[in-house]
Amino acid sequence: MGNLRQPVYLEEKLKQVRESGRLDIRSKALPTWCPGCGYFSIVDGVAMAINKLQISQKDVTIVSGIGCASRFPFFLDTYGFHTLHGRTLPVATGIKVANDRLTVLAVGGDGDAFAIGGAHIPHAARRNVDITYLVFDNGIYGLTKGQTSPTSVLGFTTSTSPYKNQDQPLNPLLMMLSYGTSWVGQSYAGDPRHLSEMITQAMAHRGFSYLHILSPCVTFDKTSRTYINLKAQVRWLPDDHDSSDKMAAMKYAMDTDNPPIGLFYKESRPTLADNLDLVIESARGRGARATV
Amino acid sequence: MKETDIQLMFCGSAGDGTIAVGDIFKRAMAKAGYKVIAFDIYPPEIRGFGKCISRVRVTSRQAYSLKQESDLLVSLNDSYAIPHVPEVRDFGSVIYDNAPITSMAEGEHISGHLLPGQLPYGLRIREISDQTTGGSKSKNIVALGYLAGLLGIKQEPFHQIIGDKFRHKGSAISESNLLAFDTAYAEGASTFRLDFIELGAPERQEIGSKVQMMTGNAAVVRGCLDAGLDCFFGYPITPATSIMERLATELPRRGGRLLQTEDEISAIAATIGAGYAGVRAATATSGPGLALMVEMLGLGVIGEVPAVIFCSQRGGPSTGMPTKTEQSDLHLAVYGGAGDAQRIVLAPTNVEGAYRCAGKAFEMAEKYQTPVIVLLDLYLSNRYETVLLPRQNPFEADSVKHRSNVERGVPYKRFAFTDDSVSPRTIPGEEGGIHVITGLEHNELGRPNDQSDMHTRMSEKRHKKLLAALDHPGITIHKRFGDQGRVDVGILGWGSTVGEILEAMLMAQAEGISCSVMKVVMLSPLPNEPIRSFFDDCAEVLIPELNYEGQFANLVASAVSKPFTRLNRVPGVPMQVADILEQIRRLAGRAKSSNAA
Repeated sequence: MGNLRQPVYLEEKLKQVRESGRLDIRSKALPTWCPGCGYFSIVDGVAMAINKLQISQKDVTIVSGIGCASRFPFFLDTYGFHTLHGRTLPVATGIKVANDRLTVLAVGGDGDAFAIGGAHIPHAARRNVDITYLVFDNGIYGLTKGQTSPTSVLGFTTSTSPYKNQDQPLNPLLMMLSYGTSWVGQSYAGDPRHLSEMITQAMAHRGFSYLHILSPCVTFDKTSRTYINLKAQVRWLPDDHDSSDKMAAMKYAMDTDNPPIGLFYKESRPTLADNLDLVIESARGRGARATV
Repeated sequence: MKETDIQLMFCGSAGDGTIAVGDIFKRAMAKAGYKVIAFDIYPPEIRGFGKCISRVRVTSRQAYSLKQESDLLVSLNDSYAIPHVPEVRDFGSVIYDNAPITSMAEGEHISGHLLPGQLPYGLRIREISDQTTGGSKSKNIVALGYLAGLLGIKQEPFHQIIGDKFRHKGSAISESNLLAFDTAYAEGASTFRLDFIELGAPERQEIGSKVQMMTGNAAVVRGCLDAGLDCFFGYPITPATSIMERLATELPRRGGRLLQTEDEISAIAATIGAGYAGVRAATATSGPGLALMVEMLGLGVIGEVPAVIFCSQRGGPSTGMPTKTEQSDLHLAVYGGAGDAQRIVLAPTNVEGAYRCAGKAFEMAEKYQTPVIVLLDLYLSNRYETVLLPRQNPFEADSVKHRSNVERGVPYKRFAFTDDSVSPRTIPGEEGGIHVITGLEHNELGRPNDQSDMHTRMSEKRHKKLLAALDHPGITIHKRFGDQGRVDVGILGWGSTVGEILEAMLMAQAEGISCSVMKVVMLSPLPNEPIRSFFDDCAEVLIPELNYEGQFANLVASAVSKPFTRLNRVPGVPMQVADILEQIRRLAGRAKSSNAA
């Protein structure tokens, strides 16, 4: 991260950003998020990834659920489907089954993913649907103005837990690893460069890739997951971490005091589309034999 | 030529092969060229000793429904069959085993329960099964052989069907069953003939036509395949499961994709996702599943995404009666969900209609950019009919891409206001058509917008575009049967009950009652005008349906301001023709007396 210490001149930076072409991927709609929200860097990260991977915007579909995070598709100039609370993954699966050539991203918050949408995640993971799932985890329900979420820490005080949250928070990374997700990574909104690199890797992965993005809610959480706290807590996964070692990945996932960022786990196995093609092949094979 | 119209009833315990023998019989009769309508009733448990009944009506011309009374009852289990003896008509006959395995207490043998005028046929069923197959498992085949011999039906179609049925069990079992059939056939043929129950010669098949015997669910599958279904998503639920099971075999052979999802919510979500991506997609469920789906259905409505949902109704509410039939999901299908969420609802009335509605549902979903629900019920899903399918595929191919209207350099108006309220549509991957679909109220671009004027205009757009479906080509939206012009009694019906209604109408006409039936296939949007003119023609109107509240009657009441009579029954089985006929007679009497006054 040495280059961060070099001086950055606005004019040069703007020129560089414009020339990269990634601004074309942003839509003309102004994001509806609060100033300072961590999600701005995620929009930029996805724009940079699409740009870097040279995917045509018309071939990208972004599917979201309900919540602050789920307004995401409006802010990029790609196809998008802002669906129902918790139903991001099954809609994305349907799109992918219909047209495997599309690049499909599913995005949503921690409530959308792990509360109402929790039942769909293991199935998208085990089927290895070739989509990228970005969960923006701010540990709070922001769009309904600050209620406890499944990833809120113990003792967190909100309007629905005025006497402190007593429910043990979920460990999303551990869940995703145990569900058989073929690509699992973590990043955080305070490091846009790392974030965009991780999004690019996740999108390049063939299969179900899950990127957990820790992000502050600057409006409703002044104590728990703030920029300052996150910056102090997160650390890099060690360089020698073997991303094919699931047990090691699980061990790192259990470190919730100092969440490691980087690629936890990666494996290569047939996708849902591959398997459905096999079904068609064997059905046709059997049909052909029957007519002989 | 003599018209054929006989109905058989096989009754036994689960495990007796009751449903299996009914199946062989109806397939053989269809093969012989007769028209068949058949329906089985069985318990929800897979094992155990529940009662199974298989009813098969064999006719020269396709019948609308099963008859109230059967001509013949075959008992494979006396204690289950005894209560059904009164369903056998006068001079009809009961076939049973004359040699019970253990001595029975007085009154337990079916022979003691026959009514005067019914012909008893106590036959050596178990004995022949033991002799020919070395066990009692083939009692059903023996009973079938007797029956065929008694009625003098040709053996060949039975041989073929029995051969097919037992082929996978090996030649020994197949041959011993054929022997059991033949032995019983010879004995049946040499027994005193059933003169009161007679078969005419089968109708000549139309040359080149495709007469097939299939269930409502099988017809749905054919309709889906002929309409070019690309993707199917489903979750098992009685009585819709066989749609998914059949498609699991058939769809991949045509290059289509099927996914068994984790729940019904996921099934409809993926269907909507695939519809959004521009392919023909469907799911199938029953009431409890549809209840889970209605939120996503609303997204399909506001997002204007094509999707086809088959719902085969069973007894409700909640888990209700999974293996019983009912028509009580109509309100859910028409109104279910948040907000004003108009959708198209079709309810076929017979097996051929199930084929038509299934295929046309895809055309409509695409043309009007909306979810379409096809409402079946257990009775229609599971009953067999001989149907004549068209030789030419009657369904239009995919038409999405012809309406994209992309203009370069201008943001794409996916929800543009147009004359027919249907907007141009692009699908992901299409150049120049980028847009976002949302469940939020939105403007023509699809951007969130909750201004009162916009919500008013968009609500109007979503309602208005569906009205064109009332004139959709190639599908019967409503139809009138029986006497034309002014009549004393009009019967308005929907779904599978229309079969019983038509049978009742024919009987009433034979009694000299002037009456007419109107069936309504499209239940949303409702064809208000034709229903009103039907009311204008009828002195009295009767609406029979299999639900407690009169759900269709409630829909009709919102369209017409005239009084009518409801006939609501929830027996879990098809409505009794006699029940409807009784009401027709009563109303005819009332119409006569008010005419006189």
